[in-house]
Amino acid sequence: MSDEYDNNKSYQAQSSETMGGSAPASPDMDYVRPAETPDQELYHGHSFITKWVFCQDAKVIGVQYFLTAVFTGIVGLILSWLMRLQLGFPGAAGFMTAEHYYQFVTMHGMIMVVYFLTALFLGGFGNYLIPLMVGARDMVFPYVNMISFWMFFIAVAVLMASFFVPGGPTGAGWTLYPPQTILPGTPGAGMGILLMLVSLSLFVIGFTMGGLNYLITILQARTRGMTLMRMPLTVWGIFTATVLAMLAFPALLVSAIMMTLDKILGTSFFMPTILQAGEVLEYGGGSPILFQHLFWFFGHPEVYIVALPAFGIVSDLISVHSRKNIFGYRMMVWAIVGIGALSFFVWAHHMYVSGMNPWFGFFFATTTLIIAVPTAMKVYNWILTLWRGNIRLNTVMLWCLGFIVTFVNGGITGIFLGNVSVDVPLSDTYFVIAHFHMVMGIAPLMVIMGAVYHWFPLVSGKFLDEKLGKWHFWLTFLGAYSIYFPMHYLGFIGVPRRYFEMYDSPYMTSAVGMNEFISMAAFIVGAAQFILIYNIIRTLKVGKKAGQNPWKANSLEWLTSTVPPEHGNFGERLPVVHRWPYDFSVPGAKDDFITQTTPPSEVVHTEVEKT
Amino acid sequence: MHPGIIFFLVILGSVLFHIFTPWYWTDIASNWGGMDDTITLTFWVGGGVFVAVCLFMTYCVFKFSYKENRKAEYKPEDKKLEKILTWATTLGVIALLAPGLIIWNQYVTVPKNALEVDVMAWQWGWQYRLPGKDGKLGTTQVININDENPFGINLDDPYGKDDVMIQSDAINLENNRPVKILLRSVDVLHNWYVPQFRAKMDAVPGVVTFYWFEPNKTGEYEVLCAEYCGVGHYAMRGSVLVQNEQDYATWLGEQETFSDLIAKQQNLVIGDTKLAKK
Amino acid sequence: MSDPQIEGLQLKPGFKGMSEDTGSDQTMFKGVHWGKAMMWIFLLSDTFVFSCFLISYMKGRGSTLVDWPYPSEVFALHVGGVSVPLLLIAIMTFVLITSSGTMALAVKYGYEKNRKMCGWLVLATALGGLTFVGMQAFEWTKLIEEGVRPWENPFGAAQFGSFFFMITGFHGTHVSIGVIFLFIYAYKVFAGHYENGGKRGWFTTMKGDYVEIEILGLYWHFVDLVWVFIFAFFYLW
Ligand code: HEM
Ligand SMILES: [Cu+2]
Ligand SMILES: [Cu+2]
Repeated sequence: MSDEYDNNKSYQAQSSETMGGSAPASPDMDYVRPAETPDQELYHGHSFITKWVFCQDAKVIGVQYFLTAVFTGIVGLILSWLMRLQLGFPGAAGFMTAEHYYQFVTMHGMIMVVYFLTALFLGGFGNYLIPLMVGARDMVFPYVNMISFWMFFIAVAVLMASFFVPGGPTGAGWTLYPPQTILPGTPGAGMGILLMLVSLSLFVIGFTMGGLNYLITILQARTRGMTLMRMPLTVWGIFTATVLAMLAFPALLVSAIMMTLDKILGTSFFMPTILQAGEVLEYGGGSPILFQHLFWFFGHPEVYIVALPAFGIVSDLISVHSRKNIFGYRMMVWAIVGIGALSFFVWAHHMYVSGMNPWFGFFFATTTLIIAVPTAMKVYNWILTLWRGNIRLNTVMLWCLGFIVTFVNGGITGIFLGNVSVDVPLSDTYFVIAHFHMVMGIAPLMVIMGAVYHWFPLVSGKFLDEKLGKWHFWLTFLGAYSIYFPMHYLGFIGVPRRYFEMYDSPYMTSAVGMNEFISMAAFIVGAAQFILIYNIIRTLKVGKKAGQNPWKANSLEWLTSTVPPEHGNFGERLPVVHRWPYDFSVPGAKDDFITQTTPPSEVVHTEVEKT
Repeated sequence: MHPGIIFFLVILGSVLFHIFTPWYWTDIASNWGGMDDTITLTFWVGGGVFVAVCLFMTYCVFKFSYKENRKAEYKPEDKKLEKILTWATTLGVIALLAPGLIIWNQYVTVPKNALEVDVMAWQWGWQYRLPGKDGKLGTTQVININDENPFGINLDDPYGKDDVMIQSDAINLENNRPVKILLRSVDVLHNWYVPQFRAKMDAVPGVVTFYWFEPNKTGEYEVLCAEYCGVGHYAMRGSVLVQNEQDYATWLGEQETFSDLIAKQQNLVIGDTKLAKK
Repeated sequence: MSDPQIEGLQLKPGFKGMSEDTGSDQTMFKGVHWGKAMMWIFLLSDTFVFSCFLISYMKGRGSTLVDWPYPSEVFALHVGGVSVPLLLIAIMTFVLITSSGTMALAVKYGYEKNRKMCGWLVLATALGGLTFVGMQAFEWTKLIEEGVRPWENPFGAAQFGSFFFMITGFHGTHVSIGVIFLFIYAYKVFAGHYENGGKRGWFTTMKGDYVEIEILGLYWHFVDLVWVFIFAFFYLW
């Protein structure tokens, strides 16, 4: 990493002052290169339908994505309640059979990872924030963008339909490992799994349309002066995550197609010779492990598709609310890009005990632990940003702090699981469940919540209530932490995951009390989310007006012509960018922030560093 | 209350929980103590980092909370500090990875004298097969499996005839003798896992996978299936009884071999001549 | 909006110029039309799709227990009583590659604003694609008549049929989609949608431009290129 890191000459050369080829201008000159492309013309909807339903404004599409994803998230949450009810108090939910339990586990896992977090971060925040943050009027292809959302909507509808078909939704586990997935020993092996595969394929297609838009908007439609190294880290995170998605989802699509054919045409891509109930099935010669490779070639980058936008967003939130520039911006950018690239070389760390060639273990353990280095650098930079800052301890900041605690905790347990021989006793136990919930469930959730409190004043023009917000935070953070911290120790005892019932296994009876406690905490955390819903409804009715740039932030989304921003975002003229978005508390400046659009001539006496 | 106090209590609580937890790993009963040691090491290093980072954060929250007239420091980067942190992290990671890889190397290198045990899994149960006097297991095929040949042994394989068959989910093992578990499945993925032995590996239909361990404590242990295999997954249990040499030899002597089974079946099922002809 | 030249932009040579250019404001690929950049990235993603298919094919072929059929026998065509290996495939490949050539010419004439030539060449490309799809349908029919099915195959491993139908089917779908668009674009060229400032499409305010022919051309060349790989993997291995 150190040579990119020392490469600061090219970095400086990107600054607007020297851009344009001719002799270097003096640092106080406000020169920006002329526009390369004509201004984008937009299609303005006129009827209710074209304005709010089939709308081409990325901001509306973002909100649509957000609401749909939150709807799936609530379904996932209710499923988790039912599961925790069974685990903490076996038999308490009278109707719950093992079939139901496994269907709930599967749907919960798939919904949370794909339809909730991925859609929320990329579809929701991506659509809303990318054009605003890079200074574009909209996504480059608004029509395709609109189709992308409706594809996602249909994918969700198909997924939800699987709850109502004969046999119910699939209960194959979110990893969908064959051969079990499509055999009758698994619940929902008929219609359920087919609908799941169709829904996933639709999701991939829809996402591809959105993803192309995000990438091209970031690469080709930035405003004047917005160099790559002046983009907010949020944009960097979403950008890299989208690249990962474009390259990882193909593996999911291909494995879904092959599994569908195995199911309905009776091909044997993943199916070896199988004996069931004394009968040899008409399959043979396929490889179950091939599916696992394809799945995790998608699945591991998927983890970072969720994590990288969260990294980016949290960096911006921390910086704004500690009134301090993000520490080591370039390191942060390279870490995001580096983590993204490395994430394609670690997939088989999910397969240490899958029966693949054991020699792969050495390679994948090494690559996995290498990722720990840039990840750790990001953590250091977050806390170093707090150091000597001027920290507003508002709700947004609390979520960020909650993120740091849960993310570091989950990151550390990741080092256990990535280190191949340590993984042997722990894999497929509750240690894994605790690890990934902490690192990719709770930590990104904290960021989402922080982002909601942060950007709500932009989206609606009103502040969410701080007092309710703090209750929401503490109940969620303390509750979630007390669900997942003790859960690691269940894994140490040896309790395997995906167990409907432990009976009286000797090492399990000792943990009955803990399971009850975890379930109680889970109910509280779930219920606490309704505080947010109440808060939003109340704020929309009687909330405090926010006005423009209420947090005194620097980035472009706060500098729109109106609040909330209208279609086209910036009024008559696009903003012109002169600096990075992190010029907080610059010595000599009048305010503790200098917006990205402030030209050098307006802040002559400051000691601003060139970006 | 100042939020910093609560964060501090969370960190303190985590540490205390770890120290006083009544829930920790089951007593180890195999040679894989190295795995436990690596876990302990990772706990020290990782736990140290967790506590350090979170305490630093808490300190900042106390020390630098918002004051109207204070200005934050303006310092975009500090190359020296970033370099030090990168290298320190790299060293820490190497220190954790190295023992992990060394133990993995042992895990995949099976000792020559290990006793081979064929563990056969199906939805939802286990059965076992041990080599007979010749010390070798006969080869098998899924399509051979039927009531007369529950393990699907190839009938023309001479090594198969004397194989000891244990048609039950319980097996006995000899203390202090390495075993190589050969896993196979006739339908879906499974995983033969005994928490006290620490080791595990998936059984994959179509191939034979393996792992090894050396039990070093006599007693009875529960076997759990550790790879999701359908609705019966949670109920797919078995048991292992680790015995000293003598008891084990007695037990082994009482078990049926494949030839015994064939003979028995010929006596029992007079009408069925299929096997008798071969 | 065909790729414009950018005024006042002189790059420094070498790596430094490259990194300055890449990181500079507004656009990363200077003067590249949005749609073109989008197509390139889509094709990158699609490359991963086909790579996953072909890698699965290699793995599947490597791990079956039954022998793989001989392609030169399975794919032979009987002409006048003689069995000529790979004859049909050779013709198919030739047609597809030729259509790539006509596509390239169409792009050239498009940029020269030669509406007639451009339109005819797009149409010729579409017909080439259609011929390809037709011949593929013929080949499928022939194999099915011989008893090859996705789930079984009289010549050897069942996976042969599975992978063959899946991958050529997926590629054929790409070709068919391309053909549909080629016909639409041929119409648009003849109707003059790209002339005199261009005509707006539905629900979009973007104006048509001959660069759209180039974008479609990128897709078409990609589909051809993939075919070369499929050809090599299925027929020559
Ligand atoms: C407070 C909220 C949550 C609770 C109480 C909860 C609870 C659970 C429970 C009880 C299981 C099943 C464990 C088992 O039997 O193996 C589970 C599995 C899972 N959860 Fe959550 N969860 C929550 C939030 C999330 C979030 C936000 C994510 C997003 C990453 C997530 C992702 C998953 C996944 C991927 C699985 C594995 C499914 C499988 O084994 O196939 N969960 N969760
Ligand atoms: Cu992973
Ligand atoms: Cu199981």
